[in-house]
Amino acid sequence: MRFEATGLSKSLGGRELYRGLEIRLEPGETIAVRGASGAGKSQLLRHLARLDAPQAGQLEESGMLRLDGRDPEGWGARRWRAEVAFVPQRVPRLDGAPADLYAAIAELAVQGERAAGEDPTALVRELGLAAEDWRRAWSDLSGGEAQRALLAVVLARQPRVLLLDEPTAALDPPAARAVEGLLHERTCIWVTHSSAQAERVAGEVLWIGDGRDAD
Amino acid sequence: MDAMPTDGPVAITWAELALASSLLLANGLVSVWLRLGLGRQLLVAGARTVLQLSLLGLVLVHVFESERLWLVLAIGLGMVVLASVEAVRRAGRSYPSVRRDAFLSLLLAAAVSLLFVTGLVLRVEPWWEPRYLIPLLGMVLGNSLTGVSLGLERCLASFEEERDAIELRLAAGAGTWEASRPTAAKALRAGLIPILNAMSVAGMVTIPGMMTGQILGGTEPGLAARYQILVMFLIAGATAAGTTGVVLFAVRARFDDQSRLLR
Repeated sequence: MRFEATGLSKSLGGRELYRGLEIRLEPGETIAVRGASGAGKSQLLRHLARLDAPQAGQLEESGMLRLDGRDPEGWGARRWRAEVAFVPQRVPRLDGAPADLYAAIAELAVQGERAAGEDPTALVRELGLAAEDWRRAWSDLSGGEAQRALLAVVLARQPRVLLLDEPTAALDPPAARAVEGLLHERTCIWVTHSSAQAERVAGEVLWIGDGRDAD
Repeated sequence: MDAMPTDGPVAITWAELALASSLLLANGLVSVWLRLGLGRQLLVAGARTVLQLSLLGLVLVHVFESERLWLVLAIGLGMVVLASVEAVRRAGRSYPSVRRDAFLSLLLAAAVSLLFVTGLVLRVEPWWEPRYLIPLLGMVLGNSLTGVSLGLERCLASFEEERDAIELRLAAGAGTWEASRPTAAKALRAGLIPILNAMSVAGMVTIPGMMTGQILGGTEPGLAARYQILVMFLIAGATAAGTTGVVLFAVRARFDDQSRLLR
């Protein structure tokens, strides 16, 4: 498996966020994405997950994406997003518990071509959450708990590439280390504001925008 | 005191209507007195009621007498067009093909439920007998347009409010329908609440308008009740169908061919 993105450009409301970006990842490699707030790091992840519909003058995207030599059209929109999984920074308001979201996704996996994946309860433990957090309502979880529970839901499905938007932003240092440990040797495009974290997790750093921000 | 004739309604003269209008007039005077600024609106609404209903009475006399299928269908179609325009206006939110989608939803819902009732339940001859079809269509449209507009409003509003949750499901590999099912369910519920409420209090708190009219018109109350039940079922069925239709259309319209939620 090889993930390739070439000639990536995106502009939002007439403002160019990035132009001509290239990302190449072999399995198990991680690239860190850095840049000032508002530079377009999250927009890049949305671009790679193919979540934004172009809108002339408002939102324009171009570039070529490949996973295993196949483009998103070849994979189909659903399968592409299952393989190249976007994990947003904040968990949106959701009904039910992490277990419900996982069940819904596992159900989708059965309908689709993919297998169900890893045991989520083991992931929950490895991420430092209590087993009962898995069945607690999203609204009862703290920001950091919800962020890790969402990561467990996504990881359980074993996507080939993870698009991570500051996955440790709401976590204390030990919890952040647990996340880093669990993601070690997975294929990730990892948005972070911390140069220390970038050095720990990634072999390469991709800067977005002109200014290289200080820590 | 005269006994109420059982074979027909008490005739109402224009002079008596003028007397009844004093109820509205009194409200208008209160509004002027308290400077509520509603006097003008009350006047316009009252005038519109008189004009529109009198005109309707005149038109219906001709339609009932003419017994022409094309005329009945043309009027029915016109009513559906007006209802769909009003439904979209009330929803207050739109997307490019919203008018067409509201029209098709209302047309299908009204046509199927009405034909079922006139053709199979009442077995009216011919099935398009205007004395049945047009008043029933009016009741069906009046109610299902409320359902359609509420469902549409909730659906489109939720797509904005719950964008992150929908995109989270999409990002997890859900298709457009799985990703928007909770949103669609909420929209459908919003559209059906008024008719469900009306059905549960019918006859206890309120005597529905049509039954009141029939009883005043001299119909035996048992028969009027059965007609009202029929109409309630008809309205509920059409409202559910129309709301489901417009919500499904809206879900389809708000995603592109790569199953991305449009802005």
